[in-house]
Amino acid sequence: MNNAAHEFLRSAAEKSADLTHRQIIRRGIDSYNTANERGRSRFLDWEAARLRCQEIKWEAVNSLDRYLLEFEQRVKDRGGHVFWAENSAEARKYITDLATARGVRKIVKSKSMVSEEIHLGPALEKLGIKVVETDLGEYIVQLREETPYHIVTPAMHLNRTQIAALFKEKLGDVDTDDPQQLVAAARRALRRDFFSAEMGISGANFLVADAGMIALTTNEGNGRLCTSVPPIHVVLSGIEKVIPRLQDLATLWPVLATAGTGQPITCYSTLAGGPRQPNEMDGPEEFHVVLVDNGRSELLANVEEREVLHCIRCGACINACPVFRTVGGHSYGTTYMGPIGSVLTPRLRGLNEFQHLSYASSLCGACSDVCPVKINLHHHLLHNRRDAVDASDRPWSERMGFAVWRWAVGDARRFRAVGWLARLGMRVMQRLHLDGTLLDPARPWNRNHATAPAPAKSFRALWGNQNGNN
Amino acid sequence: MATTETQIENPGRARILERLRTALRETTPRPPGAEGRKIFAPVTDVLARFQQECAANITECIVTQDLRSSARAVADVLASLPPGEIFVQDSPALRRLAPEWQTARSIQWSSEGGPKESAQATITTAEALVALTGSVLVSASCGGRGASVVAPVHIVVATADQLVPDLEAAFALMRERNTAFQNSYVCLITGSSRTADIEKILVMGAHGPIRLIVLLAMRPE
Amino acid sequence: MAKVALFIPCFVDQLTPEVGLDMVRVLRRLGIEMEFPEEQTCCGQPAFNTGYWNDARPVAERFLQIFRNAEQVVCPSGSCTTMVRNFYPELLAGTPWHEEALKVGQRVFEFSEFLVKVARVTDVGASFPHRVAVHDSCHALRELRLKQESRELLRHVRGLELVEMPYSEDCCGFGGTFATKFSAISAAMGDAKAGYAETSGAEYVTATDPSCLLHIDGILRRRNSTVRTIHLAGILAQTATAAERRTRAAGAEGAR
Repeated sequence: MNNAAHEFLRSAAEKSADLTHRQIIRRGIDSYNTANERGRSRFLDWEAARLRCQEIKWEAVNSLDRYLLEFEQRVKDRGGHVFWAENSAEARKYITDLATARGVRKIVKSKSMVSEEIHLGPALEKLGIKVVETDLGEYIVQLREETPYHIVTPAMHLNRTQIAALFKEKLGDVDTDDPQQLVAAARRALRRDFFSAEMGISGANFLVADAGMIALTTNEGNGRLCTSVPPIHVVLSGIEKVIPRLQDLATLWPVLATAGTGQPITCYSTLAGGPRQPNEMDGPEEFHVVLVDNGRSELLANVEEREVLHCIRCGACINACPVFRTVGGHSYGTTYMGPIGSVLTPRLRGLNEFQHLSYASSLCGACSDVCPVKINLHHHLLHNRRDAVDASDRPWSERMGFAVWRWAVGDARRFRAVGWLARLGMRVMQRLHLDGTLLDPARPWNRNHATAPAPAKSFRALWGNQNGNN
Repeated sequence: MATTETQIENPGRARILERLRTALRETTPRPPGAEGRKIFAPVTDVLARFQQECAANITECIVTQDLRSSARAVADVLASLPPGEIFVQDSPALRRLAPEWQTARSIQWSSEGGPKESAQATITTAEALVALTGSVLVSASCGGRGASVVAPVHIVVATADQLVPDLEAAFALMRERNTAFQNSYVCLITGSSRTADIEKILVMGAHGPIRLIVLLAMRPE
Repeated sequence: MAKVALFIPCFVDQLTPEVGLDMVRVLRRLGIEMEFPEEQTCCGQPAFNTGYWNDARPVAERFLQIFRNAEQVVCPSGSCTTMVRNFYPELLAGTPWHEEALKVGQRVFEFSEFLVKVARVTDVGASFPHRVAVHDSCHALRELRLKQESRELLRHVRGLELVEMPYSEDCCGFGGTFATKFSAISAAMGDAKAGYAETSGAEYVTATDPSCLLHIDGILRRRNSTVRTIHLAGILAQTATAAERRTRAAGAEGAR
């Protein structure tokens, strides 16, 4: 087992047993579910909205080159720059080179999961540049030196007491755990940073091709300040975020907000397409869009998996996932957690190293049910498993196990014999009270279950008796 | 930046495009789409719906008779705020109404630059008002980027004929006016800033304005 | 009504045969003719779910071979029914068996689905005077779109008080090999489910899927809970006369 899988199992076991943690997450998810249900009821036809969004993303992804070029041209027409980064290193280099060339000492950041994916923070810090996360949840986990727990609500694992203690320690001017006061403290602290930073970095929810603008949504207004005040605005986005037309947002914006937080629409739904124009009196002098591939073009080429690129990063699947609710966001050890993380990470970073994430699911299908763009997430988990097996990447014992299984179920008499033997073995184990011990091959099961005694006769034997073996 | 410079500095661009084109030689079936099904119930009474949504998203919507009455309402709001400069969009309409505010405060006009960090309030017009969500559509033409986000109070002076039923209509309007090409920045604002990042408890007043006030005049002048 | 072929999941056959027998009792009571194709073993789901599609394929083909001429097939498990109806077409795509998979899939029914939608019966003459909560098994709920069917059937059971347990649609955590590979997570999910069952005040938890019930039952017993599990067929098989007989038998037993 590799390190990533080992660490996942360790953390998952630890968190599964942590009842306090499970309760906190349960409350957070319940809160989301209530808001989300209310949000969906605001639609006349939520299912129609999903179908429309699925169609929009299908159009975008299946003509990705065309729409990216259209987007790029319009951005350049406004005097913006577009850089295409093949991988994390190239994306980091573009930004660090730019920051160095412009003498940037401080950067304010609005949420960008891609920035986590490419590990931008450490690269900038190494140059002595201070990076300030301005999304409150990201700000909190940054102060705690943690990674985001959830792509939409990064600090959902913390309660107000913990946050108050954190602010008291790091900001000083806080002596309460009242959320209102805590937010005010963050506003005070971050306001200084917004107005002194030389660069603002944001992600993008969508890249609008026909307008040549990025769409960025926040509730706090931090995204707007990052993209309005500092003299340089840099956008980091995966190449798959493109959508064909501005009016596609008429459906995507309400759907993203509903799926993400249950709101009808996010407070600030912004479009930015370039540096300040000649007739504009404020805004950044420079506008750079860094488009990141980092394995996405390979995923595009995999026709069966292509729809995974439709993801709009709403987080609904994460909220619906019973495994996430049990192990929490940090256990995954990856930028993207929950179902989308378990589907995407093996594809972007290697099936060999990350297949365990695709196996860590009961395949309940709740994720696929809630996905607003109708990605069949749990089917993709199955595909990941199949491809891991086809790559001969699975443990020898498992492959042998299924070879035996196939032999056993290939013939009714064999099956009867094997079943009889297995039941006999189970009854012996149970009689000798060995079930659940190290001698028990079914230990993982019997350790956690008090199973009833294995039956003496199978259904087919009893059926045969009942029906006189006709 | 010249194209040649970009080509030299960004060899990855051609490689990415090549990979995308190769990948897309294989097609996937088009999904069915919504097939004409209506996603939102049509908005019948735009004014009533706008007011209802504003109440829900905590936008203070004050309906006035005309712009002069709106101007007097602005004066009332300003009187209630702590002392300090206000920032106003330099539009003909707001220039005309400015005397009505009768305020001793110093006014910075948008033509002089962006709002200062210390501004107590900003006053702007809007591109449109969206009834479905109770939103205000602004662009860089509405006093610049900072105008609708920097100060703790943002006051929007609008008229009822600016109401559109839903987002589709708002985008249609933008198309007509070429808003996306006249501006580098557009924002659809729905309520004042907020966050639920602490225990999922909604707290109003994060980094953007703490109050969003819409003065909606039934008639222009 | 046509003759129905019984599709008895591999683990029901070997570990929980009473589920199959109870289903048979109910169908017999309704006067439905049954046959049990003895050649059947497994639908292939364990291999399919773990990614061993090359091993699952011949097993699926064998299943289709056995059931291809059955007019109707009934199965006391949502997940096994799902395997045949929803996943065989994908597993067998591009093979000569794909057509057959689509056809047979249309004729395989989960037990509650068969009673309510095919036999069009909601009152099977059952009696079970206990408080019962339903756990919505994932495959039945999300793949076969079944939720109201089992509740409809339970509402017609004499003496039965139906209660809703909180988070009835949450996965119980079984998930096949998931339960052994990720036993800590699986047990925690089962533990949560057991807790909800207890707070519901139900005496019994029931479901369409015996695999869920094996898991929930094992955890309830470990917790020394008073809540018991019973398959839907187990409830529907109970009649007043059968209960009386059992009480009398138990009384006689006690007297000895």
